[in-house]
Amino acid sequence: MSNTALPPGAAQAAGVRAAAEERRVITQRSLNDDILRLIDRPGPVWIAAFALDLVVLLIGALALRNEIVLGLGVGGWTRPVMWASYITNFVFWVGIAHCGTLVSAILFLFRSHFRRAVYRVAEAMTVFGVLTAGIFPLIHVGRPWFGYWLFPYPSQRQLWPNFRSPLEWDVFAVTTYLTLSSVFFVVGLIPDVAAARDRAKNPVLRTLYTVMSFGWTGGNGQWRHFYGAYLYFAALCTPLVLSVHSVVSWDFAMSQNAGWHNTIFAPYFVAGAIFSGVAFVINLLIVMRKVFRLEHLVTLDHMEKLSKLVLLTSTIVGYSYLSEFFMAWYGPSNAERDVFLFRYFGHFWWASWIMFTCNVILPLSLWFKPVRRNMAVLFVLMLFVNVGMWFERFVIIVTSLARPFEPYAWGVNYRLSWTEAAVTAGAFAWFFMFFLVFVKVLPAFSIAELKETLPVPKRRQP
Amino acid sequence: MSAPGTPVRAPRGRAHRGVMGIFSYVDDAEAAIRALRQAGHRDLSVFSPVPYHELEQAQEQKPSLVRWVCLAGGIAGLTGGFTLCIWSVLQWPLVTGGKELVSLPPFVIIAYESMILLGGLFNLLGMLLLARLPQRANPAPYDPRFSEDRIGVWIPGTGEAVKRAGALLEGHGADEVMLHA
Repeated sequence: MSNTALPPGAAQAAGVRAAAEERRVITQRSLNDDILRLIDRPGPVWIAAFALDLVVLLIGALALRNEIVLGLGVGGWTRPVMWASYITNFVFWVGIAHCGTLVSAILFLFRSHFRRAVYRVAEAMTVFGVLTAGIFPLIHVGRPWFGYWLFPYPSQRQLWPNFRSPLEWDVFAVTTYLTLSSVFFVVGLIPDVAAARDRAKNPVLRTLYTVMSFGWTGGNGQWRHFYGAYLYFAALCTPLVLSVHSVVSWDFAMSQNAGWHNTIFAPYFVAGAIFSGVAFVINLLIVMRKVFRLEHLVTLDHMEKLSKLVLLTSTIVGYSYLSEFFMAWYGPSNAERDVFLFRYFGHFWWASWIMFTCNVILPLSLWFKPVRRNMAVLFVLMLFVNVGMWFERFVIIVTSLARPFEPYAWGVNYRLSWTEAAVTAGAFAWFFMFFLVFVKVLPAFSIAELKETLPVPKRRQP
Repeated sequence: MSAPGTPVRAPRGRAHRGVMGIFSYVDDAEAAIRALRQAGHRDLSVFSPVPYHELEQAQEQKPSLVRWVCLAGGIAGLTGGFTLCIWSVLQWPLVTGGKELVSLPPFVIIAYESMILLGGLFNLLGMLLLARLPQRANPAPYDPRFSEDRIGVWIPGTGEAVKRAGALLEGHGADEVMLHA
């Protein structure tokens, strides 16, 4: 399955090369060499990618400027669809962010050692994903310069936020998540940044690494407290990651809208978040291991384990879609039944079927090992998963709002405006701007943790 | 040996005095640490690219106290979150839908997130304080190979005791032994 497009001889040669690449002898020193060589003067490919990224970001920024100056009316939403692509983007990016904490914290607690090769990329994705997600509620409130009103602070009029509102829970959940995932990311980097500092020749980078390594020397006391704290960061981030997307789901589930007022929303959203996040990190890793020739560090086994996670969460998401539909049919609410029929057979039927095909049907191919181990096929499949997950949020948000209890409003349907499309594209560029800089400035794989996977160097081997 | 920019400086006004042994093998370093501790050197420092259990056991290290700092942060966050919600609704009593002002179920979420936030921040502070980070001056001479694949064992001091420690390091298979007098 994996090499059907190639002639048999070429396929065999490619397989032998890949196997040889994976069998390369890895030592502690070679790990430093392999990972720190990524931090190098950017090549033409990186520069071209970064320039393209900045152009897209500029287009997004101009569209956003338009929206701020002219008002929210330039967006495509209108009554009754008042939450549209921006909230879709918000939920999508928070979901993308979830994979990092799953890989770095939950799999750390479960002692799943395969995480060591991939967790740094996933953690970086978490931090940049939350930074991207956070933009959208600020745009959506219309006057982003008053964003600080969302936070509790003592004011002369003694006004406080409404702590009973799910939107305020979201403020607490997302800011806590951004803070702790950033702290977890920066703390995890300390030993590796110290290794980068010890080799850095560029004075600017050396100063940066000296600051970021906090003067780390790998002393016995430092390691003891580092891992003592790391365990508790993982223990705190695990319930946090589960709570964040639950709270995001309650933004919907706490309302009375048909299609939203569901008890399964929290686990359904968490599974969806992990599903899309892992798919996204697989895409990033496939490109990185190929471009930087890191097949011996991020092996096919690692990629296969991640794709099994995608398969698992895909089945949970598929089960949720079907049980939602079943409950609408079996339950007493006519409005609920109507919304679900509208969702799959009404004006937005195409979006719902894109969602169902990409998230439930296509991932079924991951039951087959050759698919899980073929990086080209896996890459395309994970792109489909992410398209499907963006549409999942779109379907949940837009179809429920477009079919309110008041039939008078049914004829008005939402259309994505150019402004929203540009801001959505700009958000991807915003994310990739951080990610491209991260790859060139910081160790993108954990040197210290990968060393722990090697045999302990002993003169007298048992 | 040390690269510029690394924290190799001795504390202000003092030069590094002692002996540093550099090892390639964990079992050699472990045996050296046990022998040094038996000889009365309790204030030795060990540097390694990864934490090795063998070296922790040889030094009889206890678990880090950072967990108690984290617990304190969690308790402060939990009580702080509830306090903020309850106090603020009582400050400006605005009854909606005839419901209780102090409605605990929604406040649990704020308190829960605050518990995790402060627990995490205290955990960070606890780690930095206990590990004495950021560290500008290193009490031992640092070698960049400690972040690659070598283990360093540093015994501070002067005179005959340190010379004997150096011989002990050499006897246990140290690749290099450097006396800083």
